[in-house]
Amino acid sequence: MSLRAPLARALHHGSAHDGVGHWLIQRVTAVALAPLAIWLLIALLSLPSSDYPTVTGWIGAGLHPVLLALTLLIASWHSWLGIQEVIEDYVHGFVSKSSALLASLFVHVLFAAGGVYAVLRIALAGGA
Amino acid sequence: MAEFRLPPNSRIDQAAGKTFSAPAGARNLRRFRIYRFDPAAGSRPRIDSYQLDMASCGPMVLDALLKIKNEIDPTLSLRRSCREGICGSCAMNINGLNTLACTKACNELGRGDISIYPLPHLPVVKDLVTDLTNFYAQYAAVKPWLQTATPTPPDRERLQSKEEQQRIDRPSACILCACCSTACPSYWWNSERYLGPAALLAAYRWIVDSRDEATGERLDALEDPFRLYRCHTIMNCTEACPKDLNPAKAIGAIKKMLVERQH
Repeated sequence: MSLRAPLARALHHGSAHDGVGHWLIQRVTAVALAPLAIWLLIALLSLPSSDYPTVTGWIGAGLHPVLLALTLLIASWHSWLGIQEVIEDYVHGFVSKSSALLASLFVHVLFAAGGVYAVLRIALAGGA
Repeated sequence: MAEFRLPPNSRIDQAAGKTFSAPAGARNLRRFRIYRFDPAAGSRPRIDSYQLDMASCGPMVLDALLKIKNEIDPTLSLRRSCREGICGSCAMNINGLNTLACTKACNELGRGDISIYPLPHLPVVKDLVTDLTNFYAQYAAVKPWLQTATPTPPDRERLQSKEEQQRIDRPSACILCACCSTACPSYWWNSERYLGPAALLAAYRWIVDSRDEATGERLDALEDPFRLYRCHTIMNCTEACPKDLNPAKAIGAIKKMLVERQH
């Protein structure tokens, strides 16, 4: 039960003056992912075989490690922003929402760092 | 923990519904299944079923509701006033779509039963009457009035060109019936913090008004992850609007203006 005026409740803590960047980056990363995802799909499907040396050889070849690292980073970034939206939509308690947002951030950073490390390791080992 | 069951006062008591049959001799029968709930009574909501003879009933859903209230069951509560789609009072959920009972013809709804519920996800005052306090407060929060620093010309009104008027012509036609906001899932989950399509359409109407001089402040006030950016372009608002307005497009235009002023 609150005796606060409805307008005061609607105004809440005011505007956070934030959200434009989030909205824009979500769209920019989506645009960047479109060609990268198509490239990755076509490249993987046109590999002559999927055995270990073929795939690691392909990962290390030419610009592939750069494009792969970019795909991983941008996909993680895009996914992090998207999942943040989902959590903000559906999770309402301060503690559960903050925990979910933090967990999502850490998982995404871990995924991106691990993925980039794996690509670099394969690429650099192949080059040596 | 997440709750997967609705609270008891949102669960319909299937066994409690009453049935009112049409008088003998009626030929053009139609059944109306109407949500009934009185929070003060302490019992759960129920669905009452009313059979009407459409031969002696007006064409609109509101005509049927008033016939039920006048001739069959005076305990049915609903809001209505103008009966011509301009006051927005009789907004309700008819066969799954939020619309105005006074402008929705029964024969637009196929041949089966007609189900009538209050607007979704609002507190129910009684039966089809919902509590719109927060909805109106959100409308007030976007300051829906002309704000200027330039004084009014002493000899005439603040003039607009025809093109300038056309920009606000459609958005001004909003009657605040709340069909759009209460059709929006984002509004259901975050109605405390997301302004909802109706308030955002009103904000847009003043942002694009050529006479208004608070455009920047208006955009500032909307630049918020919850107030504006809970909109995920689901577009139920535009689908539901009984006045054929396009709140989704207005929200998109606000987002675009916020990006444009950064670049």
